[in-house]
Amino acid sequence: MFRRTSAGVVLSLLFCSSPLLAQQRAYFVTYDHYLEEPGNLELAVATTTGIPKRGESVYTAPWLEIEYGVTGWWTTELYLEGVTTRNDGNAFTGFRLENRFRPLKSEHRINPVIYVEYEGINEASRIQKEIVGAGGVHYEPIDELKREHEKELEAKLILSSAVRGWNLSENFIVERNLSESEGFEFGYSVGVSRPLGGLASGTACRLCRENFVLGVEAYGGLGSTEAFDRAAQRHYVAPVAAWRLGERTSLKGSVGFGLTDTSDRYLVRVGFAYELPVGSR
Amino acid sequence: MVMTRTILAGLLCGLVPAAVVGARQSWSDRQSEWKAPAAADTKQNPLASRPETHAGGAKLFAERCSACHADDGTGTSRGPNLTLKRVQSQTDGALFWKISSGNTRTGMPAFSGIPALQRWQLVSHVRALVEAAP
Repeated sequence: MFRRTSAGVVLSLLFCSSPLLAQQRAYFVTYDHYLEEPGNLELAVATTTGIPKRGESVYTAPWLEIEYGVTGWWTTELYLEGVTTRNDGNAFTGFRLENRFRPLKSEHRINPVIYVEYEGINEASRIQKEIVGAGGVHYEPIDELKREHEKELEAKLILSSAVRGWNLSENFIVERNLSESEGFEFGYSVGVSRPLGGLASGTACRLCRENFVLGVEAYGGLGSTEAFDRAAQRHYVAPVAAWRLGERTSLKGSVGFGLTDTSDRYLVRVGFAYELPVGSR
Repeated sequence: MVMTRTILAGLLCGLVPAAVVGARQSWSDRQSEWKAPAAADTKQNPLASRPETHAGGAKLFAERCSACHADDGTGTSRGPNLTLKRVQSQTDGALFWKISSGNTRTGMPAFSGIPALQRWQLVSHVRALVEAAP
């Protein structure tokens, strides 16, 4: 009985008809200029699964994302993240609090967004929502890594354009570790995506083209003010896809291919988002 | 303890600006300043003479707009009444531009991320709201 009720709740969350989901971002790492709608709360769960190149343990790093549209020009977001590995243990790896500000009132050829994030994480963090600096993922046992706490401040300049049905986004990232001196670390991500539909059909449909967005993103770390070692950089290219399951829900996925020796072989990402109105404008 | 303090500090970083935003202009004040550029004003709706596409517009409106503008377009606390003369007197091009561009000051999202034809379907449906009104 309980199982049947739970399944009913899950299905109604997936396919409920209450209207809401306005914009659908297929990217995992790259940000575009579309902020959360004012008064909307988005809850998302996602995972990054890393498949290393040299026999290290496969890991899965899940995270919970709580995103709220405070105003039309300001979105705030809290992340809680963890990691689990096949052989090296599991851990809660910390939190991130981010704010995105869109300074311009309306749409332009290039739309800037300012992004500021505070991170209270430990060395076991592997969600790789962005990659900065140089060097690979730490593969020491999770129990050791989780004792190494760090506080970081990160800023991004997000530039995003809508061009003939395509979205083009570029993110320039700079990060400062407040816990130890690592200089300023730099990273980037760029993405291009496109919704598949043209005219919307007049009937409800789950699998029609208008519910899908396809794209590709590339991201990586560039080094820091203290070291710029091209051989230690990590770069990935990742096709991405998003599917609107219902008016409030979306599912997305990507497979990232590591392009350098320091990169993992693959980063497989899956995410599910649910949006609900909680406030007024 | 340190972790708790850090989380509280982080949350405060987000809440303080939220309080600042509390004192905002009323919706109508912000709306009255919002005008489409002249170049956008003259654009024609390519779907105006294709009534078979209007059902798609109604579906899009229900999915993407009615949470703020209500199912019949008469507005909610989150968005204005679209059947009013001050909205309906605008050209199709102006409405298309506003749907595409959004307005971060009024909270209207930009829909430039959805295909242009779907935005024109929305314009057609905004026109149809008045015809459907009792």
